[in-house]
Amino acid sequence: MRIISTDHKVIGLQYLLTSLVFLLLGFVFILLIRWQLAYPSQPIPLIGAFLGESNVTQGVMLPEFYTQLSAMHGTVMVFLAIVPFAVGAFGNYLVPLMIGAPDMAFPRLNALSYWLYLAGGLVMVAGFFLPGGAASSGWTSYPPLADLAQAGQTAWLVGMFLLILSSLVGSINMITTIVQLRAPGLTMMRLPFFVWAQLVTSFLLLLAFPPLQAAAVLQLMDRLAGTSFFLPSGLVVSGEALHVSGGGSPILWQHLFWFLAHPEVYVLILPALGIVAEVIANATRKPLWGYRAMVGSALFIGFMSFLVWAHHMFLTGMGPTMSAFFQVTTMIISIPSVVIISSLLLSLYGGSIRFTVPALFALAFLPMFGIGGLTGLPLGLAATDIPLHDTYYVVGHFHYIVAPGTLFALFAGIYYWFPKVTGRTMNSVLGQLHFWGSLAGMNGIFLPMLIEGLAGVNRRLYDGGRTYTYTAPVIHLYSGQWWATVLLGAVQLCFVANLVWSLARGKRVSQNPWDATTLEWTTTSPPPHENFPSTPRVHRGPYDYSPNNAAADFLPQSQP
Amino acid sequence: MIPYTIDRRADSGVNNVTLGIWLFIASEVMLFGALFSSYALLRVSAPAWPHGRDVLGVWFGVGNTVVLSVMTALVLRARAVPPAVGRQFLAVGTVLAAVFLVIKGLEWRGEIAEGLVPSLNTFFAMYFTLTGLHALHVACGIVANVWVLLGASRVPDGMTSGRIRAVALYWTFVDVVWLTLFLLFYLT
Repeated sequence: MRIISTDHKVIGLQYLLTSLVFLLLGFVFILLIRWQLAYPSQPIPLIGAFLGESNVTQGVMLPEFYTQLSAMHGTVMVFLAIVPFAVGAFGNYLVPLMIGAPDMAFPRLNALSYWLYLAGGLVMVAGFFLPGGAASSGWTSYPPLADLAQAGQTAWLVGMFLLILSSLVGSINMITTIVQLRAPGLTMMRLPFFVWAQLVTSFLLLLAFPPLQAAAVLQLMDRLAGTSFFLPSGLVVSGEALHVSGGGSPILWQHLFWFLAHPEVYVLILPALGIVAEVIANATRKPLWGYRAMVGSALFIGFMSFLVWAHHMFLTGMGPTMSAFFQVTTMIISIPSVVIISSLLLSLYGGSIRFTVPALFALAFLPMFGIGGLTGLPLGLAATDIPLHDTYYVVGHFHYIVAPGTLFALFAGIYYWFPKVTGRTMNSVLGQLHFWGSLAGMNGIFLPMLIEGLAGVNRRLYDGGRTYTYTAPVIHLYSGQWWATVLLGAVQLCFVANLVWSLARGKRVSQNPWDATTLEWTTTSPPPHENFPSTPRVHRGPYDYSPNNAAADFLPQSQP
Repeated sequence: MIPYTIDRRADSGVNNVTLGIWLFIASEVMLFGALFSSYALLRVSAPAWPHGRDVLGVWFGVGNTVVLSVMTALVLRARAVPPAVGRQFLAVGTVLAAVFLVIKGLEWRGEIAEGLVPSLNTFFAMYFTLTGLHALHVACGIVANVWVLLGASRVPDGMTSGRIRAVALYWTFVDVVWLTLFLLFYLT
């Protein structure tokens, strides 16, 4: 296998491996953070001595290092792990197979997109080796703090620039592929929901990322050319007036950032919904309930996601008129999300569910995403957001969406499509262990966060807020969260072991082990170069499970 | 070969290259849209904003407007003529794009020598950032043109004309951005 390949399957696997490594890295950051929160000023066990004197003194984490870890945890997880995992890996590998195409529309651009992603990720993480360490102004990089931060912030911006180029190239490729390369007979309304989700996601990447690119360029100019795009007049730093021309606006950065970052939330969640839809249809042996409504909702989410960004900014003093507008749009966008989740839930009704490992992850996704979504409603209304803003409640809310939400869906996808990639299944005992351990571990971390946040604990405190008396009733929760993190880490080792073991020793299976209907299961496992011996022809919708008067309980899309 | 690289697909009415370049332009609109919005926001909140015609060399701007517009017209024309002629149009256009960069470079050099640098005020910060980003687009366009010209002898004519249509659309966008910049910085 060539390292620089233009085959979408190779590129998909490159994305997968790279994003898994970044996922692990982001998790290691959080292990360190949770140790510090649970046992502040106690030496970090085992690895404390290897983290560098400027970061860790006598095994104890320094505040500067803590802020780097929390900024880089968010950055790595969102931009380098989950999005490339969901879009780069799953989208690249599966979309051409699901639509019966020989490859992506622009194979060389596809390769370029992966290598830009890798370069961007390495540049960002290389910040840890610069003087002053990695970016430390939060994953949102708010100025003026970020404008004045150490060199690591420049690495963050350059890395972000490369990542945005990567996702630009990738999203153009994905949209063109879905529009142009569908097999004969595969009309848009016969596309699997997964493909629809990838299509809407790609439009979000295409149109929402450029404003952050613009913002990154402006912040780079502030840092390197001495401009004041985000620096207001009269700024005083460490007791001295800052010598800049001033006249800039820190709020401008927030608008540009959240104009990307709210659609980004749907970039994180839509591909996950796509995977869950495929797995649930297959596990229940029924057509998806409300496929058309789900597609419409996905499109509506995509459109509305551009109109809600300032609900992250209720505390910037933007006034009640603006707040009212963004509250209304935020409440509106929750409707299509509920339509999709309700459709998936109703799809279970009357089904004879096969409780395989992918199905477990997909089923657990529903209540976990539900908790994440419902805890978001108080944050979408200014009156309740103001006291909750910047507390652990917010952190708990969005982690319920992204961790036992999106990540569970991605794990479901791994277990579900592993046989297609390798011709073998993954071990289900290790898989069950991975599932139950992750479910317990994640809830053990994120549920206490909601309680801490309601008690008012600020999310950015190096000692977890021990210097404030009001935190006393909830401070004991931190040690439980530490042990939940350890559990979560331990069961991820089961997952890694399962992946490696199953690659070599997993049970060999047929090309369609789940009795699935979509096109990727009609070719060999792994599929050959150019995917199909001859272009498939599509005769029916994507979820023809348990049809009337048929011998089998499923009809593949390619069956006349 | 990937289907519909050259031929149009019946239900979408376009080939892959055309759809791809339109999507790219859409993304570019969002990029410059964000930058122009930033310009508007910072300008309306600024206590004072210099008259561009007083501090910038208007004739540099006029010269570059002429050069880039002629260049764009040539590339647009290259779509309609036989491929061999079209390549010559594209080649001349590429030279003009390089002339644009030379003029822009001379203009910047003079301004920096006079102490008119990005850190001076928000006007010059915006001016250098936006014209710099635009010049980067011109430079990338030159690379794309050269790639089309070099590839013309190796790929079918149908593919080359598809590529020429794509770069023509790109240059039109680059020209429109320049006209907007010319208006925002030199004439107001």
